[in-house]
Amino acid sequence: MAAPCRKMASRSFSRLLCYFSSTAVGSGACRRFSVTPIDRATPLGSTAADRATSPWSLMAAVCLQRLPVISADCSPIEQRFKQMLQQMELEKSLVSDHELRLLEDAEKMSRRQAADYDSDEEDRGDQEIMMTQDLEDTWEQRLKNFHPAPRVRGQWRRGLVKVRKSLGVKSTRTSPVSLPYSCLADVDEDLSSAQRCLADSLVLLAEQQVGAEKLWLLPQAAWQEGETLRQTAERALDSVTAAGVKATFLGNAPCGVYKYKLPKAARTEGSVGRKVFFFKAILADGAPGSAPTAPLLWVKKSELQEYLKPAYMTKVDRFILNL
Amino acid sequence: LQVTFPQQASILNLSLCRATPSIQHPMWSTASINERQYRDMPTHGIGRWRHLLPKQASKKKKVRNQVKDLVSATDTAYGTLNVKVSGYDMTVVEHYSQYIHNLCNRLNIKVAESYALPTKSTEVLLMQEQGNKTFVDAVLKTHQRVVQLSSLNASLCPVFMDVILKNQPEGVQLSVQEHTEADYLLRFKARPELDGLIAQIYQ
Repeated sequence: MAAPCRKMASRSFSRLLCYFSSTAVGSGACRRFSVTPIDRATPLGSTAADRATSPWSLMAAVCLQRLPVISADCSPIEQRFKQMLQQMELEKSLVSDHELRLLEDAEKMSRRQAADYDSDEEDRGDQEIMMTQDLEDTWEQRLKNFHPAPRVRGQWRRGLVKVRKSLGVKSTRTSPVSLPYSCLADVDEDLSSAQRCLADSLVLLAEQQVGAEKLWLLPQAAWQEGETLRQTAERALDSVTAAGVKATFLGNAPCGVYKYKLPKAARTEGSVGRKVFFFKAILADGAPGSAPTAPLLWVKKSELQEYLKPAYMTKVDRFILNL
Repeated sequence: LQVTFPQQASILNLSLCRATPSIQHPMWSTASINERQYRDMPTHGIGRWRHLLPKQASKKKKVRNQVKDLVSATDTAYGTLNVKVSGYDMTVVEHYSQYIHNLCNRLNIKVAESYALPTKSTEVLLMQEQGNKTFVDAVLKTHQRVVQLSSLNASLCPVFMDVILKNQPEGVQLSVQEHTEADYLLRFKARPELDGLIAQIYQ
């Protein structure tokens, strides 16, 4: 398929100023992004003469990823190794200034309490108002007052809920009890929420009409005259998701391709099949304003197999990194 | 007879050699290692090997901080890019920048430079609970490391960015920008005496 590729290569580049920050979990579930495209020159038009008509029609799809928000839990081996390393560091380390002051204060106290203490002999430097131990106590107090955000984001849902043992409440009754306030819904199970599984990276899937049937696949759209494939991918994303969703595309070059032939009944002289080019994008921080137009799913790489067709899955599998 | 003749000849030769240690055969004499052989000797220069090695560039002292030219962007590659990693924890920031550098080496992306920007200290002042005065609670230091890539292929860019983002540790900010003259000048320390003198001249 020479023509569109040539077109893509001859387009001048848009250079991006990207700023990604992985700071503490704030209000949104995603990392904060800001992108400023510096140079977007007008695309050169290609003449119709140098494009041979080809039986393959083009489509562009977007692989929108939500990066992990919190660090994943360590496996048992990792935990043991971490503990061992921490112990080694502690044993090799030297005493810090604060700890030296603690020791000095402890010595002073013991000397004062001794029977033959002569306060005039003591070298009266600047007596510190705050003893080092008091400093430590105030720090500990502040640490206790600090409550980190819960690891599993959730939405409080109302309704009839069974009193579960996991909440720490023992129930004598077996029948469901309606509580005045509700329990945390299990957000990890809710596939359509972007807040699920904060420790893994998720991919967006949309249910789209392909031919005669509805399939779950990465949001795609057909390529039209006069636009780049990346613009097609952006259009595909806009059509499927809500208006407020902001995504940063990682580059003008596609990361994967999948081609399929139409079923024999639908094949004509002009169209034999379709080629789908995939573009990677990262979900930026933004609360979706309105509801999405099509049913959406946020799935992990391990769950992709249940939703995608096998041939499609092998091609998509290659560029989705499970790091 | 014929057999004995060469023996006699050889004996004669040997005796000749031993009797007259001549200049023509210095190798039989007690020649030290430092004395070179005479050029008429057929074996002159028999041990020479340095002329067989490929020519090496002259060993001049390399100027350490060379000003590298800015590579401009072409249709298929980005120009000079600065990947800036910043954060409060120095070990994490340094390890992450080292990871990026190694990743570039592995992916055959040319790394022009890899340097550190000056550390910025931020003092956190808290209000005292009793009273209106603020007191110094903590000093946070922001460390910055920059990996400068000379040219990044456009087709490699999404892959590279994806891997970097997925391996970004907690508490570390990543920023990818184009390199400008202003960025280069940020690395230099301010020279207050020079600035003062210049101001005096122009006043």
